[in-house]
Amino acid sequence: MTDKDAPRVIDARGLEPPEPMVRTMDALDHLGPGEELLVLLPREPFPLYRALELNGFSWLTTCHPDGTVEVLIRHQTR
Amino acid sequence: MQALLSFQQAPPLAAPVRFFLTAPLFAIAGGLLLAWSEPAALLSRWTPTALALTHLITAGVMLQVMLGALFQILPVVAGANITRPLLVARLAHAALTPGTLLLAAAFLSYEPLAFKLAVSLLGAGVALFVGAAGRALHELSASSPTIPGLKLALFGLGVTVCLGALLGIALTGSSALPLQQLTAVHLAWGLIGWGITLLAAVGFLVVPMFQMTPSYPEWFTRRFSWSLLVLLAVWSSVELAGGARASTAFAGTLVLVAAAFPVLTLHLQRHSRRARFDANQRYWRVAMLSLLLAGATCLAGNAWTEFGEWQAWPWLCGILVLVGGFMSVMNGMLYKIVPFLVWMHLQNLGGGRVIAPNMNKVISAWHIERQLQTHCASLFLLVAATIWPEWMLRPAAIVFLLANAWLLRNLLAAMRFFRQHRARIAALTTTATSSA
Repeated sequence: MTDKDAPRVIDARGLEPPEPMVRTMDALDHLGPGEELLVLLPREPFPLYRALELNGFSWLTTCHPDGTVEVLIRHQTR
Repeated sequence: MQALLSFQQAPPLAAPVRFFLTAPLFAIAGGLLLAWSEPAALLSRWTPTALALTHLITAGVMLQVMLGALFQILPVVAGANITRPLLVARLAHAALTPGTLLLAAAFLSYEPLAFKLAVSLLGAGVALFVGAAGRALHELSASSPTIPGLKLALFGLGVTVCLGALLGIALTGSSALPLQQLTAVHLAWGLIGWGITLLAAVGFLVVPMFQMTPSYPEWFTRRFSWSLLVLLAVWSSVELAGGARASTAFAGTLVLVAAAFPVLTLHLQRHSRRARFDANQRYWRVAMLSLLLAGATCLAGNAWTEFGEWQAWPWLCGILVLVGGFMSVMNGMLYKIVPFLVWMHLQNLGGGRVIAPNMNKVISAWHIERQLQTHCASLFLLVAATIWPEWMLRPAAIVFLLANAWLLRNLLAAMRFFRQHRARIAALTTTATSSA
């Protein structure tokens, strides 16, 4: 993967709610087709999943042993 | 900006808020009852005033805030959606509110019909909520320790209410049950099986989230609630079987295990990344210190003969647990939950075209600060009233009433803020539609 293809990363692990959600939604406003956004969180973001589903995004969640939850987001392929 | 932001998963604002606005009214009623009472009411925990007051706080304040918060917490932190949340909230609230008033009236009058009605309404309200929340949680895997903790807390609430119903029936003279032991078991399940278990399940999540602390250790979060419930079940059996010495030993162990949560929370708070503690953090600190003092009072009352002979020690313990512990946490959490709900619903209503105002503007920091100080003053005066009831009871009752009236004022201010901004959004949306 080249630098151009690398997903944009938001590390929201040290942020107080609702800042992680606000920053993620801000970033998604500017996410182009084929681009990816990687969000690092300290817990599973259930409200975010619903917002992604409603707005045509797909996502992949990975939980790490240190408690970090990675959510990789992209536009749904039609 | 944030054109996509949508929290459709959240229940309507009216579902949790009706509980939050009712809770301070019960606390105000408790303050009025205390101000009305003679100092002799504090001589025993079995006086009608003591029993009515305890239930105004536990069923009136704690249960209302906890259920309201769960309507919000279940979908957001566990992904558990209660089916038809507004209907469940309306029915549960409509049963619990008169049920609690009738229960307080029943203790003050010892009218059998009032006990029967109170038990029916409280039982129905709690059964409805536990059924709806249990169903929402049922199929979820334990991806975080909060989920099994919430399930155990709901179980603890169910046991508490069943025991309470048995006691209510026994008090009407319909059965001959060991009232004293049954009351002790009912109290322990309410405070530990429901209260501490729920506090810990939610705390594991919200303390690191809102107070910028490290997380609770995994070994602790996986075992704490289970250990507490198993010990509680064993102690309850021993207590009901009449094994006095073994019961005291198990009760002591139970208090020590429960104390691990406030000790660890205070330790984590010392490692907060926040330079200056906000009101929520200070409320949690007061609560954790109060719970530890309550535990020490309980241990001393059971193990130290001279202290155990002081009639007011159960009152002291009760004030530290209920007002110092649970009410402090709840006040602090309401100042996080309510502004968040207002912000979130305004954000949704704005639909990306109108950005919601900053969450910190929903309730004035000045009013939150003064309310916190008044709450702490009321706690201090209530503790003093257990030592000098003739002098301190009425001032304590008045300041307690004032602290809760101030809390109600702050919550109503948040609702006013919501209505004003909702009207602004509606006006802007109408203007945008007509110009298009």
